[in-house]
Amino acid sequence: MEVGAIGMYICLFMGLYFEVFLLISFLEKRPHAKTAAMPARYPSVAILVPCWNKAKTLGATMHSLLALEYPADRLSILIIDDGSTDGTLAAAQEFAGHAQVRILAKENEGSKFSALNFGLKHTDSELVGCLDADSFVAPDALIEMVKKFESDPNIMAVTPAMKVFEPRTLLERMQSVEYIFGVFYRKMFDNLSAINVLPGPFSFYRRDVFEKIGLFRHAHHTEDMEMAFRLHANRMVIANAHTAVVETKVPTTIGGLVRQRVRWSRGFLENSRDYYYMYFNPRFGHLGLFALPFGLLAFVGGLYTAAWGLYGIVKMLLARGIDFWVTGIPPQFHLPHFEWFYLDTSMLSFLVIAVTGLTLVAVVVGSRIAGSRISATSLVTYFALFGLVAPLWLARATWDTLRAKETGWLV
Amino acid sequence: MNLNRYVVAFAITAAIFGTAFYIASRIDSTRVADIRATGEAISIDLLSSEVQFELLGNLDCETLSAHPILTDELNGLADRLSFTENRLGSDNAEVIQLKKQYSLLEIKDYLLMQQITAKCKTKPVAVLYFYSNTGDCPDCGRMGDVLTYLRQTYPELRVYSFDYNLDLSALQTLIALRKVDGQLPAFIAGTRAPVYGFKSLDEMEKLIPELKTLATTTGATTKAATSTR
Repeated sequence: MEVGAIGMYICLFMGLYFEVFLLISFLEKRPHAKTAAMPARYPSVAILVPCWNKAKTLGATMHSLLALEYPADRLSILIIDDGSTDGTLAAAQEFAGHAQVRILAKENEGSKFSALNFGLKHTDSELVGCLDADSFVAPDALIEMVKKFESDPNIMAVTPAMKVFEPRTLLERMQSVEYIFGVFYRKMFDNLSAINVLPGPFSFYRRDVFEKIGLFRHAHHTEDMEMAFRLHANRMVIANAHTAVVETKVPTTIGGLVRQRVRWSRGFLENSRDYYYMYFNPRFGHLGLFALPFGLLAFVGGLYTAAWGLYGIVKMLLARGIDFWVTGIPPQFHLPHFEWFYLDTSMLSFLVIAVTGLTLVAVVVGSRIAGSRISATSLVTYFALFGLVAPLWLARATWDTLRAKETGWLV
Repeated sequence: MNLNRYVVAFAITAAIFGTAFYIASRIDSTRVADIRATGEAISIDLLSSEVQFELLGNLDCETLSAHPILTDELNGLADRLSFTENRLGSDNAEVIQLKKQYSLLEIKDYLLMQQITAKCKTKPVAVLYFYSNTGDCPDCGRMGDVLTYLRQTYPELRVYSFDYNLDLSALQTLIALRKVDGQLPAFIAGTRAPVYGFKSLDEMEKLIPELKTLATTTGATTKAATSTR
């Protein structure tokens, strides 16, 4: 067996192990269905809406927030215009008449964390949530969040179930399946006490968090990930409220998607470096032994698989080109000829089928948890496209991180 | 923290790996059985042809030409054998055994064809091709491609390919009779002396001018083009 194939077997083993581990977690503790129960108490809540050039989507975001089923006198919404140049402030002013809404403005400082901290200084609510100005919440999402906090006083932060808002294009459909897979693994990470990111759309914190461990940090433009790491570092509990649904707009172009994911991926690498001591550290439970190492392995495995596939294709094309040149055999184009005998029935193929099958199971479970349906088109798009585009941001994030090495951090 | 989950997940993952290995092995075994069955069917057909040849004795060349010797079946078998050899490796015991069976069938077919040629005064174009796939013949793959292409272009061309290193006495006798030394690739067109080294498509068409007498097909078949490697 060639060395490259051995690497693929290792990647497939790790991928299968990850999925099997999560499915075991699912069977051990299945997510409960949404109940009609209401919170015993309605704590004061502030929702921070940081905006940088979100004039087009801010209105819809605000309408979804104003439609939240929560006592108006217990809910305040803070729009923080972060130095927008597209009329976001004017769009925000349309909501100035609402008693719950406060509009703040500041100069842009190059990263979202400063807008969040600016908003934090203007509220003293018991619970503080964030919502990106291109995301839209379900009317009962806040109630579900509050119920989660109420279920355990040790819970210091809660993440929602995130879905893609009205996916239409192939790229959006691909991301919609990815997000549903995310609903599944985030819930399983919750079972394992290993949630490693508090996403911008509708994550909530007890106010104590900021008093005990400080405000948001720049954190390589991934303040939501760093905050999760810091909460774990301070032994604080993060939970997932899978019944609190938020929909978010996603990049509609490959370029936009790659830019977004490069930021996330690089943030993961850089924050992993900053919190390296959590890796393989039993003190941090499944986060240290499973979630973080497998996050890194997914990074390496994705890159390896892409490199191996690319190497195979280039090698084949080169060989074909040289053969054509040397033998003088004219190019031949045949229609595929199906005969079972010539099917690729290698062990590798069956393992790929197993990984794909388990991913499909996870997506189906995720869609049930999120209470949404995934179309066949979206599924096909996901399985056909994701493996092609993901290496783009993995490679770029790695490249950017390595370049940063030259400017200091690993020297 | 429950560490048993790590062990259980490992055991399940290993079981999935084991199952994948088992299924792949079972299918490979089925393939080998399929090739063996095809080989046996060809063997019976060849025997039948030989008996038919003997029975006809004083020649009924028309009947013989109406039932051509098993070129398509042998080529199909070669394609399957080549695919299986790529899957399982050329040093696999089953593959070696099947190659021996295939080589014997080829030799028998070749001899029968010679007998028919002599009696029916036909002029078939046959090429004996000798290759090695143990890594000592970098040009054998390309030479195989050229011969496969020629075979597809000229369906009446009969290409008999032999693994030079196969430990088969009948094959070694053929090699000795046709005075093929160890330089590979090597091929013999008709009754000519062996030609050594890689030859391109143009060179082959010059070396075997009788190809021009054969009918051509415009579309090459879609079978795997590796059987003469």
